[in-house]
Parts: sequence; C-alpha cells; structure tokens
Amino acid sequence: MTAAFPADSSRVIRVTLIGLLAFSVLQVCWWLVDQTHFAEGTTHQVRALYTADLTAARRMEALGVAPDQIAATFPHIAREANGGLVITPSASEDLEASRRSHIKRYTWESGFFLVVLAACIGVLWRGLREEREVRRQQDNFLALVSHQFKTPLASLRLSAETFVKRQPPPDYARELSQRMIDDVVRLESMVTKILDSARLERGRVEFRKQRVDLASAAGQIVTRLAEHSHQHGVVIESTIPPGMTIAADPIAVDTVLRNLLENALAATSGEGGRITVSARNDDDEIEVIVDDTGVGFDPHDARRLFDKFHRLDTGDRQSNGGTGLGLFIVDRIMHFENGRATAFSAGPGKGATFSVIWPAAQTTP
Amino acid sequence: MTPRTHRILVVEDDLSLARGMAENLRAEGYSAETVHDGENGLARARAAEHDLLVLDVMLPRLSGLELCTSLRQHGINTPVLFLTARGDPHDRVRGLEAGGDDYLTKPFNLDEFLLRVRAILRRWEWYRGAVASTGSLRFGGNEVDFRSFRAKSWDGRSHELTEKEATILKVLAERPGEVIGRDDLLERVWGEEVYPSTRTVDNFILRLRKLFEREPQTPRHFTTVRGVGYRFDPESNAS
Repeated sequence: MTAAFPADSSRVIRVTLIGLLAFSVLQVCWWLVDQTHFAEGTTHQVRALYTADLTAARRMEALGVAPDQIAATFPHIAREANGGLVITPSASEDLEASRRSHIKRYTWESGFFLVVLAACIGVLWRGLREEREVRRQQDNFLALVSHQFKTPLASLRLSAETFVKRQPPPDYARELSQRMIDDVVRLESMVTKILDSARLERGRVEFRKQRVDLASAAGQIVTRLAEHSHQHGVVIESTIPPGMTIAADPIAVDTVLRNLLENALAATSGEGGRITVSARNDDDEIEVIVDDTGVGFDPHDARRLFDKFHRLDTGDRQSNGGTGLGLFIVDRIMHFENGRATAFSAGPGKGATFSVIWPAAQTTP
Repeated sequence: MTPRTHRILVVEDDLSLARGMAENLRAEGYSAETVHDGENGLARARAAEHDLLVLDVMLPRLSGLELCTSLRQHGINTPVLFLTARGDPHDRVRGLEAGGDDYLTKPFNLDEFLLRVRAILRRWEWYRGAVASTGSLRFGGNEVDFRSFRAKSWDGRSHELTEKEATILKVLAERPGEVIGRDDLLERVWGEEVYPSTRTVDNFILRLRKLFEREPQTPRHFTTVRGVGYRFDPESNAS
C-alpha cells in the first residue's frame, strides 16, 4: 500500500490546523482588547495633557501673556464668549475620532488576517480531503487489481504447472494451452483498461469518427463473450436491428459496449441470468441499452458507479468483477463523444440497466 | 496414494482456476467437485459430506469467510483451505478465525497446493481416527463429545466446539499431565507451513478455559508452563 502519508498523520495535521485557527482567533481577540485598552489609555493621557495645557494657558493669561501668543502655543484651547478659556470641542472630538479610528483599523486588519488564515486552512483542508479520497481510490484499486490480476495469474500458473507435472495427452494439452491463452487475454484486457483510463483521464485521446453499425459492433462483442457467459449460465443476446448507425470512433464504440457487457456479465453470473443489448432511436438520439438480471445496486449509487475505482461496499463479497475502471472508461468516452452514460437499478438483487446515448449530431441517416 | 477417496469441494468463481484445481485433485486420486459462488457453495457443503472445502475468499453472493462461518454455525466442521489474492497477515488471521485451517495466496504453486491439501486431510484423518478410539472426554464435571463437536460444561451449559478447539483439546487429552509446547500444538493442529502465531494458540486455550474452567483466571485443567506451553490435567479439581 502506498500513500503520501498515513491516516494518523492526516488526522494530526487536521487537528493541528484546527488548533492553529483557534489559537489565532484567541490571539486576534487579545490584540483587539489590548489595542482598545491602549487607545483608551492614550486618549486619557492626551486629555490629561490638554487639561494641564488649559491650566498653563490660564496662568499665562493671568501673567499677562498676549492672547495671540497663548492661542499660538495652545491651538486646542479657545476663548468662550464670556472670556474664559476652554479646550475646543473639536479637539475632544478629534481625540475621540482618533481612538475610534485606531480600534476600527485593528478590527478590520484582524478580521482580514483571520479571513486569510481561514481561507489558507480551508485550502489545506480541501487538499487533505482530496488526498484522502485519492488514497481511498488507491486502496480500492489495489484490492480490486490484486484480485483481478492474481486470479488469472493463478490460473495461468496452475495450467502451466499442470502441463509440466502431468505431461498431458494431446487433447488435454490443447485445452490447457487454450486456458493459458484465455488467461493471457484476460490479463491483457486488464492492462488495456488501466492504460485506457489513464489516457482518458489526461484527455490524450483522439477520436476518428466513422459510420458505425451498432448491430454489427454489439454482435461481435456478444459473440466474443458468448462462451464465457455460457460457462457462467448467463444468456447474452443483442436485439439491435441492422442498419442503425452512428458517427463515432469504432474503437471507442467497441470499448464502450465491451465494458458495459463485461460489467453486466460480472454482475449476472449464475443460472438463469440474462443480458440483453438493445437500441432505440429517440428524438434523433440513439440510445444503446444493456439490461441485466444481475445483482443490481442501490439507486443512490447510480452516479458513483461511474467514478474511478468505485466498487460497492460488500466486504469480502465480490461485488463486480473488474478493476473498477470499466464504467469510468465508458463515462469518459461518452463525455468525449458528447454523449452520456446512465445507470438504473430498482435495488440490490433486482438487475440493472445501463445505457449510453449518442447525441443527434452523431446519428447518421 | 490415498487410502480412500477423499471428497473435496472447490468453491472458486474463476472457472478456469476451479477447473484446474479440480483436475489436479482428481489426478491425485481425490474426488473433486466445483461450485462458482458462495451461496451454491454453502448449499453444496451442507447437502453432502466432504473431507475438505477449498474456498476462495472473494466470492459472488457470499464471501468465503461468510460461508465458512455459516458452516461452523450449522455444526459442519469440515476442514477449510482458503484461497485469496490478498496475502497480508491480517487477512490470514481473519481466515483462521473464521474457522479456516489453512490459507494459500494466489498465485500458488501446484505442488504446494497439493501438499497442503494432503496435510489437512492427514490431520483430519488423525482426528477422526483418534475420535474413533476415544470419542468422548470427561474431566472436572465437563463432558466433551469429539464426534459431534458438542460439550457440556460443569455448570450444565451446552457448547458447540469448533474443529480447532476440539482438535487442540484432543491433542492435549492424548497426553494428560505432560507439557505440550506451543509449537508442537501449532504443528499438530495447524500444520508445519501454516503457523499463524503462537498467540493464536494462546487465544484458543483462553477460550477452552472460559468454557471448562470453574475459575478461568486460576485454571486447574489447562495450565500454562511459562515459556514452554500447556499442560492438561483431567483429574485436577475433580469435584
């Protein structure tokens, strides 16, 4: 298992971030209280100075200093109508305004600081969540791939070792060889899926549109899967009428239909299982539908089925053969084809319907 | 090769692998049948008597672990060899705790697979042979029936024993008063290759004490000889 850092570290980082934010809020509150006290103290001191100045001005006046000189020395002291000296109202107001402005400035700056800090922590938090999601996907991927790779590898090894140990007669040797070839094909298909999904994810794909006959495309895949489905007791059939065509990349169409059918087959193993591929031309859209009588899924999971490495949580029960990439590949290809993929099930055990829809512009007469 | 035809049920969803295993088992003289999902595996294991079940852990419909647990709950103690793609120690412990006897990681070596099958069947044969001569055990007011895996403890309660518990008890009861090493117990009960850990033996002994000791904290029948193993004293505290 590889991960950027273990789950415990992630938790420590999250707790640290919350602690940092809480500490910063407390620190900022303390700053505000401190600055309020500081501004009030300063105002108080300046008021005391003004009062001392008023006393000094009155003494200077008593000593006969000229009023102009007193006014020039103490600009914040004025003469009342009755001739007495007082601190000018504007000086008191200026002092109060300066105090308020100081506190206001600190309040705004603190708020801004907290917002920036919260935003940074939010970004980090989001990063951690994404990291965790990637890790979950990697775990799912490893669990699925280990099963899906190791099983054909086990089969391949067993056939090869049987060959060596038993020195089989020609008929049995042919059968063992065929099994080994089938296992190699399965492994190759897995590798192809992983590479396809990587390419699709990076957008490194180029679609060359051609006229594709859906009945023929589906028919080839049904034929390819028929033996496998028969071994699993599943009947697989296509009811797409000949002549229904779309303008699309033939490889992409093959990949989409193959992944849908393989997905249905993995979900339908068992006696009496049935998979039907059909198509309909509806409002100039062409929809290909794959119905199966398999394990189905919770309707709430419908969209998540197309997520990369998604798998239904069934503990050790095998929910669906594959890497968890097949439906992701279908979804990405349909995205590039300007179409869409949908999934429906009435619930677990009630089968499923997957469909892919090509838009009007891609249907051909 | 084998004194009688052992019946082996292979529950593996991969058809090619299941077929390959069954063919090799048949080539070794065993009778082998295959089933491809957990539910059918459970039905088949309950419907017919087998000497060994080879279970894939990840199965459609019902996992191998669930299948094994369900069988044990129904009193079916047929030995189980688990096959899995995941080989980490945690999975191995889960398999053994679910009542499995051995655990093989895919892809496996054919000879190793056959060796393990043979070892499990040999232990199972030993158990059945030992049970045939002495089918029950009485000690300290407790009564154990090795054939049915049922026991009645001194307080009158009935218990279903797992195959492992019964085998450990049988091994200990064969040599009353003697000290049996943990490694010896592991080898006799699990086999040379399968060692989970000596801790596993300790857990099983704890369980036996809870079932049969009047005071499990101060055991009289299942005593620990520090650093060596365990001693079974059937006569002690025979009140």
